[in-house]
Amino acid sequence: MLNFTNTPLAWKNLTHDWRRLIVAVAGIGFAVLLMFTQVGFQNALFDSQVKMIDDLQGDIFLVSRAKYTLAAEKRFPLELVNQARSASGVIGAYPLYTELTLSRLKSFGMGAPSKAFPIRSIGFRLDDPIFNSERINSQLEKLRLPYAALLDVRSKRDNFPFPTESDEELAKVQAELADRTIVIVGTFDLGTDFAHDGNLAMSAENFAEYFPQRKQFGDPLSVVDLGLVHVGDKARTEEIRDTIDQLLDDRVFVLTREQFRNQEIDFWDKSTPIGIIFTAGKIIGFIVGMVICYQVIYSDIADHMPEFATLRAMGYTTGYFLRLIVMESVLLSFIGFVPGLMASTVLYALLANSTGLLLQMTPQAILMVLVMTIAMCIASGLLAVRKLLAVDPANLF
Amino acid sequence: MTAFASLPATSGAYSQGPAVPKTIKVSQLNHYFGEGELRKQALHQNNLEVKRGEIVIMTGPSGSGKPTLLTLIGTLRTVQEGSLKVLGNELNGASRDEIVALRREMGFIFQAHNLFESLTAFQNVNMAAELADLERGLAKERIDYLLNRLGLGHRIHYKPKSLSGGQKQRVAIARGLVHSPKLVLADEPTAALDEHSGREVVTLFQELARDEGCTIIMVTHDNRILDVADRIVNMVDGYIRSDVAVHETSVICEFLRQFPLFSDLSTSTLTDVADKMMVQEAVAGDVIIRQGDPGELFYLIRSGQVDVIIDEDGAAKKVAELGEGQYFGEAALLRDEPRNATIVAGSKCVFYTLGKADFKDVLARSKTFVDELRNVLASRT
Repeated sequence: MLNFTNTPLAWKNLTHDWRRLIVAVAGIGFAVLLMFTQVGFQNALFDSQVKMIDDLQGDIFLVSRAKYTLAAEKRFPLELVNQARSASGVIGAYPLYTELTLSRLKSFGMGAPSKAFPIRSIGFRLDDPIFNSERINSQLEKLRLPYAALLDVRSKRDNFPFPTESDEELAKVQAELADRTIVIVGTFDLGTDFAHDGNLAMSAENFAEYFPQRKQFGDPLSVVDLGLVHVGDKARTEEIRDTIDQLLDDRVFVLTREQFRNQEIDFWDKSTPIGIIFTAGKIIGFIVGMVICYQVIYSDIADHMPEFATLRAMGYTTGYFLRLIVMESVLLSFIGFVPGLMASTVLYALLANSTGLLLQMTPQAILMVLVMTIAMCIASGLLAVRKLLAVDPANLF
Repeated sequence: MTAFASLPATSGAYSQGPAVPKTIKVSQLNHYFGEGELRKQALHQNNLEVKRGEIVIMTGPSGSGKPTLLTLIGTLRTVQEGSLKVLGNELNGASRDEIVALRREMGFIFQAHNLFESLTAFQNVNMAAELADLERGLAKERIDYLLNRLGLGHRIHYKPKSLSGGQKQRVAIARGLVHSPKLVLADEPTAALDEHSGREVVTLFQELARDEGCTIIMVTHDNRILDVADRIVNMVDGYIRSDVAVHETSVICEFLRQFPLFSDLSTSTLTDVADKMMVQEAVAGDVIIRQGDPGELFYLIRSGQVDVIIDEDGAAKKVAELGEGQYFGEAALLRDEPRNATIVAGSKCVFYTLGKADFKDVLARSKTFVDELRNVLASRT
């Protein structure tokens, strides 16, 4: 009955009063903007949590089963990495070392804070293909020197006031890592996250020098934080992952890049208040949109009660009225979504410039907010439709 | 012989014979508003029959229950007590689906136009056409025809905002008629219209009634359109005070006027007389009155033929034959004497009878016809 060849009453009623339409579009657009802001920030923050994973090479990752997040210092023996190398299809497996608890960096420059602050130290064997970043890979020779390390330019300035603009200036700065002299020979770009205020990259040898207590007895490099596995045929990644999983014992998870990323995001989303905060933000946007949408649909119904009553008298059914209002809701959500999307894109660009957060208008984010907008409009439409269904044509005569 | 004696002569039940299907049959209908102590009866034992193709005008002061009866007939209110049959369906206890199906066979014209401001005249009318599943081309043709017919040909694609009150009302009328309804319920359809367009509307009603067998019930106070009524129903305080078939009543009055004693009576008095007459039927051979019996009724022959037989000295002798429009039985009433002749039905007959008391009452009280009659009927309160 409500098909496209019939009188498009939902559309006509919606667009008839352009002033009301503008208010409706502005309101729903605002709700869309609110939701996009939340989704955008959440994604940006989650992305920063997995930036390290994104910057690493490798197709399959080995992590300790106890390591619930990258920041958790749970390690596993180096032999497992070597064992993984023996699996068929694997062309290389390399260890990566990180340290946060013992890793405290203090600088002695002008106006530097008097205390040492925690920084994540990343140790790797310089000959292994660990980082994607050309910036790191081009400075590997400098890292062969003792006491040498690279500093993340995005490390928190207040804690680590290094002159990152110039390598010469940097090299002159007196600094200590874990109470031992360190020389910053260059910079790289990784970024901070909730757990880490800055990063240092250094050779595994230097890493072992600074943090000998990593392992109580024996070689500090015999326990690794992360194993990076390269496969020959990326199409067979899943299959190789299964092989390695069977090969290694229960101490480690063997994860593809996607799984590893999701596991990390999942931790921040589900096990910390971050997910809740952003979910609350989205719900608020949703409710704001619902209230506005309800108002628009309700007043449309209230203003046309005699007309709807006439339709009732003519023999239009409850089903028609339900479809009419759902149709109106869906139309409203689309009309409100487009300007909301455009405003959000502009806002993302502005915020990305000012905060350095990675705000991206991804297809997933667009789809998610669109679905929420439609749901929001339909929900409010169904709340308002009760008024319409109560229409009584008995009062028309 | 006295079958249907409770039927008033002016109801018109016998003017076309009883075989014409009834669009509406209201019997013993009561309706109440409010609950408990505030419960107030709005309709009292309403009885009404409307034949297919009849145009009925309902009159009466405000608060007389006209809209209540109209909404009940229109299925817009639930029947509480009594029986109400519309287009062959009993509404008392009807299901939702039945009601929806029934509503689609009706056309509603409300006093307020109730047009969607967002739709053009054409689209507003089309809302009704779509519901009837009319084929698109046919629907368009019919909408164009109706709007043109109602003088809106140049405004078909205008929105209500650019139409005058009268034009909007005419769009609403087209919406009520587009799906060829079997029953049209209209509330003051011509109130917002000038004389010319009002006339056009009722002419259209008449055509629909005649050509499509559409039954039309109008509530109106517009005296200019009374002439289209086949039946005028007058309501007072929830009672149907009179329900009169206009044509039949004028026939009765013309007959009565031929009776010398009644020929000087005003139309209004004649109508009152007609109103008091009841229907009586007889088949060939029935004895209507018998010589020597006391006289109680005055008879007017609506149809059929009777023989007048006078019994003289034990020998029955047929002295005359009486046919349609003639009367008998007045002599006994005038002189308070027993019947001076026997009347036997010579064929299937319908009589309209008047009681002795009423007959005398008319005599004790002692003006072209049809138009005046309608005014009289409509202005009764």
